Order: sequence, then C-alpha cells, then structure tokens
Amino acid sequence: MARLNHVEVDLLQQGVLARLDGVDSGYGPTTVLLEIEFEARVGEVALITGPSAAGKTSLMHLLRLALPIRAGTATIMGVDVARATPNALAQAKRRIGYVGENPVFVEQWSAFDNIAMPLQVAGRRAQDYTDDVRELVDFVGLGEAADLPMEKLSGAERRRAAIARALAAKPALILADDPTAGMSPADGRRIVKLLAEMRRVGAGVVIASQDESLATCAPIQLWRIDRGKLSPAEESSTADVEPIE
Amino acid sequence: MRNALSGVERAMFWTLAAAAFAAAAAGLAARATDRLAEGYDQARRNYAIVRVLAPEGPEAVAAAETALNAAPHVASAARITAGRAAALLGLANAEDAPPLRLIEVELNPAPDSADVSGDIVAALAQGGVTAEMVEAPDVESGGEIASWVRAAAFWGACAFGLVMAVIVWLAARALAARGREMVTVLTDLGATRAQAAGRIADEAALMGLYAGLAGGALAAAAGVVAILLMAPGANLETLAGMIRPLDLAPVAAAPIGAAVAAGLGARAAAGYFYARAARLG
Repeated sequence: MARLNHVEVDLLQQGVLARLDGVDSGYGPTTVLLEIEFEARVGEVALITGPSAAGKTSLMHLLRLALPIRAGTATIMGVDVARATPNALAQAKRRIGYVGENPVFVEQWSAFDNIAMPLQVAGRRAQDYTDDVRELVDFVGLGEAADLPMEKLSGAERRRAAIARALAAKPALILADDPTAGMSPADGRRIVKLLAEMRRVGAGVVIASQDESLATCAPIQLWRIDRGKLSPAEESSTADVEPIE
Repeated sequence: MRNALSGVERAMFWTLAAAAFAAAAAGLAARATDRLAEGYDQARRNYAIVRVLAPEGPEAVAAAETALNAAPHVASAARITAGRAAALLGLANAEDAPPLRLIEVELNPAPDSADVSGDIVAALAQGGVTAEMVEAPDVESGGEIASWVRAAAFWGACAFGLVMAVIVWLAARALAARGREMVTVLTDLGATRAQAAGRIADEAALMGLYAGLAGGALAAAAGVVAILLMAPGANLETLAGMIRPLDLAPVAAAPIGAAVAAGLGARAAAGYFYARAARLG
C-alpha cells in the first residue's frame, strides 16, 4: 500500500473515514456531482436522500473508490483518491463494505460462498472464517437460503446476502445504496436499523435512499442531494429512534 | 462453478481439446515425416555398389569382397549373386542373369567431409583390386530434399501449433467473459488486478491443461492406429521399439501449450474487465 502522508494520517486519527472537499465527478462528458462537501466519521450514520437521478448512486460509487474525481480533493480510508495507485485503491476498498443498488454476485456459487468472498480476498483460510460467516448469515436472517446458489434466491434474500457480504470483513466504512429497495416497509426499516447498529462497533455508515423517513431508525446525520449538489439537512434525535424488532 | 462444468464450459472444454488434438496430431505427423526423411537420407548415404574392373575372374570379385569388408566406412559388403541379379533385373530364372562383377556395400555413417569413395577405392587397390564406385553414397544431390522436407515438417507443425494456440487463446477469452461477474465482484471487494485476473487465468489454465491432456491422448491413440495400419512390420509387440522419446514431444507439449495459451488469454481478458470494473466514468 502507498505510504500515507501526514494529512491522511491526521484524518484517520480524527476518525474521518471519508472527506470530500469541493469534489466534482461524473461519467464521460457529463459531470454528475458538483462541488461535493461531505464527511463520513467513525461511529456515525449518514442518510443521503434525494429524488431519482439526483446523484445518490454516483456519490456511493465515489465513496467506494469506483468513480474518479474531476475536481476537488477526496480522501477516503486515508487514501488521496486522485493520486493513489490502483493497488492502493484496491487495498483501501477492502476496508469498505458496499451494498449496491443491484448487487452483483457469482450466481452459480452459494450465498455462503459469495458472503465469504471478502475474506478470501483478504487472504483468510476457509477454516478460520466459516463460523464467522455462519453467524453473519443468521444475523441478517438469511437462514438455510445461504446454502442455495445465488440464482435461486429471492430479491429480499439477495439483498440480505449483499448486506452480509458487505459486513463480512468487518469494514470500517459501510455504504448501502438503496438497501430497502423491494422490501416491505417493516423489513426495510429492520435492515436500516441493522446497518446503523454497525456504528456501535466503530464503523461509519452511509446509506442512500429516497425514503427520508428512514432517518428515524437510528441517530442519523441527514443529507439531501439534488441535481448533483449535496447539502446537510438535520440530525435525527435519538429520542425518535425505534427499537429493533 | 465448483460442481460439474456448465453446458457452455463443456463446449469450451471440447473446443480446447479439439485444438490440442489438432496441434498434437500435426506434431506427430511432422515427426513421422521427419523419421521418413531421415530414413531416406540414411539409405541414400549408406549404400554403394562397387564394380570390379581388374583382374578378371571370380577370384577377383571374392578378393574385392574380402578387402571391402576390411575397408574404412564399410559396414558390410556382399557380391551380387545370380539370384540377386535376377531379382534386380526382373528375370524369372537366375541362370538367365549375366555374371556380374558387382558388390553391394552397406556403409557406416560418415561426416560430409569424408571422401568415402576415394577411401574405399584406395583400400581395394591395396588389396590388389582395381574397382570403381558405380553408385556412390550421395551427399551432394537429394540430401537437400530430405533437409527441406524435415525443415518444412518441423516449421509447418510449429506454425499450425501456433494457430491452434491462438484459437485456444481466443476461446479462453470467451471463457473469461463468462467469469466477468466474478471479476466485477472481486474488483468491488478490493482484489488487485493480479488477484482478480490470476484467479480467472488459473481456472482457464486448469481447463486448458485437462483439455490438452484429452486432446494429446486422442492424438497419441490416433498415431498408434496410424502406425499399426501403415508402418511395415508394425504390431503391438514391435510398437514400443519403433517409438523414440522425441516422437512423444507433441503429445507432451499439448497440455502444457493449451494451459499456457488458455491462461494467457483469460488473464488478458480478465485484466480488461478488471480495469472496466475498477474505474467507472
């Protein structure tokens, strides 16, 4: 991994997992994100809401180190995105758990094997992680479906598998793009609460969703994005928080 | 993935096996051509006929035969009997054949620089016989043809093998495309390019190895059948003695070549997919 400079080390010391300063980003000739100012910190949950095509998913791609920046400064997991080597970016990605809007799996593999993949990438041996992955499977409520090939799972089960995979390597930063899509409101809230619980083990959590009411699931820093411009809204109070059912 | 091969992977496996079979079969054919050319060349270089000029009489032929058997470069010498002459001339009765003052000579291999004819004629002269080489070992003409045939067989087989390797390489790229979702997942999870491409390449190389083994084994079986059907005196007992270790090189090269070509093709494709997945926009 590339050596961190003192600014990057300082940010990590302060518990800043991701900091975006005046960042522009986009695809091809189109700039989708404009002058983004954002910070994700250890033990905090951020909810980014906005209408469809506002830039939520692009922001998640930026935070998961998949979308290059065009202007500004982005420091994510201690890595300056603009000047990091591909290997340094890959190493930083291992500390980020990502639940995509349409999660991609190896369809012929079982959900269990897919969930264990981050641990394989990190070089851990199967006998060392099997119990942990089983525990995670139970934690997200996947149950016996974990042993089925991914192609046999329902939409809700796939989403649970994606969440389990995102949590498998105990990441420092958890990103969830529309994690409640296709779920009943009750199931969706349960999933968001579950993700928000990760703050208690020191992770930073960033959730993107159109549903602003999810902010009442946990102490959440609320952000709004519209036409590529992000702005802080309000922090939900702990008094509003519903218990996990 | 971890279970049996899927339909597409099975088809890919047999595509690789067919390419490996074709390459190995071409290699075996080249070896057979090389052995035939080598045999022709040896026969051309190792045979001579000596005509006894003086003195007259059958004693001179006997003396020449004795002198030849002690002469340099000579493996064996035997006068052409009436029966042999009749056979060579296509006569029904040996009595009809004229008396010949000819001796057939089998020669040992000699370097191109050696004056085989001169040495033999000198040895005969020392034995009191004047003779000439009627059909001398031919190192000038004909040798070129054998050399050309051997070179053409070798390089032709190499070129064909290269074409088959390119086919395997391209097929492996298609196989890697089937694994694109795995590359995407690995990329998202923080695998390096070497890790993601290496995993896909290893799987393709393993498939290439097995397909190469299958193709090589089939080519070897076809080669054995061809020898039994076409080589004079070949049967299951003599077969092992007829095959030299070098003849098996194309069979041994098939799995290695298929594994390397498949691995390289899959690695290149997976590297491309990795780059696409790692950086959007």
